[in-house]
Amino acid sequence: MSVQFQDLSTTPRAGVKGPGAAEWLKQLGLPVPDVPNTWLPLGGALGGGLIARLGNTEFLVEGPESVKLAAPISHGVYPVLRQDTALVLKGARLNDLLLETCSVNFLAINRTTRPALLTSIVGVGVTAIPDGDELRLWCDSTYGEWFLDTLRTIAAELA
Amino acid sequence: MPWRLLRFALAQKHPEPRMFTRHDELKSAYDVVIIGAGGHGLAAAYYLARDHGITNVCVLEKGYIGGGNTGRNTTIIRSNYLTPEGVKFYDESVRLWQDLSQDFDLNLFYSNRGHFTLAHTDAAMRTSRWRAEVNKHYGIESEVVGPDFVKKAAPMIDLSCGGHAPIMGGLYHAPGAVARHDAVAWGYGRGADMRGVEIHQRTEVTGIDVVGGKVTGVQTSRGRIATNKVLCAVAGSTPRILKMIDVRTPLYIHPLQAMVSEPVKPWLDPILVSGSLHIYISQSSRGELVMGASLDPYEVHSTRSTLDFPEGLSAHMLDMFPFLSNVKVMRQWAGMADMTPDFAPIMGKTPVEGFYLDAGWGTWGFKATPVCGKTMSWTVANDRNHELITGFTLDRFRDYALTGEKGAASVGH
Amino acid sequence: MKIMTCPINGPRAITEFAYGGEIRPMPDPAAASDDQWADYVFNRNGAPGVKQEWWCHTPSNTWFVAERDTERDAILRTYLYTGEA
Repeated sequence: MSVQFQDLSTTPRAGVKGPGAAEWLKQLGLPVPDVPNTWLPLGGALGGGLIARLGNTEFLVEGPESVKLAAPISHGVYPVLRQDTALVLKGARLNDLLLETCSVNFLAINRTTRPALLTSIVGVGVTAIPDGDELRLWCDSTYGEWFLDTLRTIAAELA
Repeated sequence: MPWRLLRFALAQKHPEPRMFTRHDELKSAYDVVIIGAGGHGLAAAYYLARDHGITNVCVLEKGYIGGGNTGRNTTIIRSNYLTPEGVKFYDESVRLWQDLSQDFDLNLFYSNRGHFTLAHTDAAMRTSRWRAEVNKHYGIESEVVGPDFVKKAAPMIDLSCGGHAPIMGGLYHAPGAVARHDAVAWGYGRGADMRGVEIHQRTEVTGIDVVGGKVTGVQTSRGRIATNKVLCAVAGSTPRILKMIDVRTPLYIHPLQAMVSEPVKPWLDPILVSGSLHIYISQSSRGELVMGASLDPYEVHSTRSTLDFPEGLSAHMLDMFPFLSNVKVMRQWAGMADMTPDFAPIMGKTPVEGFYLDAGWGTWGFKATPVCGKTMSWTVANDRNHELITGFTLDRFRDYALTGEKGAASVGH
Repeated sequence: MKIMTCPINGPRAITEFAYGGEIRPMPDPAAASDDQWADYVFNRNGAPGVKQEWWCHTPSNTWFVAERDTERDAILRTYLYTGEA
């Protein structure tokens, strides 16, 4: 298979949004990305995972740290239900697969700024984080099976 | 050889117009001015002259005859609508269609094919049953059929639609037909022309003169015309004209695109529509597959085409007919559809006395051409709304009494 | 492929966006007459021109304002709405 798929849907994750969300996450001791649509790794002492800023005031936290978001939420912070299908894609034909299924040119994306892209792939709204030669994807889990099946079919045609 | 043909051989210039008389000058006054030389405008002119004896009529056209939505639709004719108002209206239209060729002495290539509205879900089957009952109540041939019946009528169909949206059945409307759309405009135009109506192409309306709430004249790119009666039948350009007389309506303009394939041998007899796949298809008498989908998703006042359209439409078409994958698309185009919130047209008198409107025909106007001509000419001649159009007046929005014609459009609006 | 620029997510294909219609100020429901209210509910400015419209970038659910020439289908400007929600 020229593109490999790994399903990370069972990794714990949580989300919050609202005008007070960034400040609240800082109080919890999490690093908060300053720029909208970027992400930071939660490495080392934080036990892995990541935090992504989606737009101005919405955040996704994945990994062990996400349990902190279950703390009582303060004024101007609202919980976001994250029941995503979460995938990792990699492989020699990954970019060809993306060219066929998405209108964002991932080759032109500067990975050093750690961008988190909200776009659509095969018509499904996704959050996409290119990291090294891998691509992390999150989409609504009600699309999950169809989404994965469609991408696999197209990847098989590329092989 | 008939002797009269000799004069064609002897004359320097062609001695008679092929279709239409050419009028070099606009007169200074007409009894009725019709804006828009499409099917609806010309049909109204024809019936004004034929049925009401009003021949001092001028039809103004910014472009050329039948160059708007008359020549851009996918030529489907049917009457299996959902509301009693709609059913009665369109059924009258289908009946008029059937002898138009005789009436005009011009072959309209009216071809009775049968029309399927395919259902891929329980909800769509339910709607089919509802529509069939309304239709049957008004004596219209319309019935719910199963997948076997569909397969028999269109043997090349993949009933599973690629596994995504299997066909559960559909609404079958035997009188469904197609006709050659240009010929309809030409037939009505010539019929009106022969009775003395003047058709002026490349003449743009630039203003409407209204004095004391009454129409007194029309300003055009070729000068002013005095008249007390104006019929506006300009589809996607309606809001531009209405802006000239400050009449507000719910009309909004979205492009509707369509495309045809290269000609292939006849293999598809019926007309097929699928709401779930957002497609409709029929095969023309030339063998081209005439295909359409739903409206463009946002307002545009031009007839531009997009690449997204043939891409999306082809993908869905292949779900239904996988064997078409090697057939080439020959051309695509768009028309400006004037949409209303309840998918019923806006017809009849307006707040401006002497200004009559035939609009809001969105994506469903071609099939109604004859009956629109009949009812609008009656309305203009009598200055009273014809009984078949009383459900379609502009007042219904002010009165919160919408018509709710969800069966109007073939696919997903 | 037509490109629209989301104020947050940058330039994207038009297929990622949903059209929300022209921005229309709502009359005071308590003070408006029935005719004024019907006009607001149903009537539209259907003539071509440069219009301020609601658009949404659907993958991120970002609502914003686009200034668009509906006759040329040209997007002139996009920006976030700054008035009260």
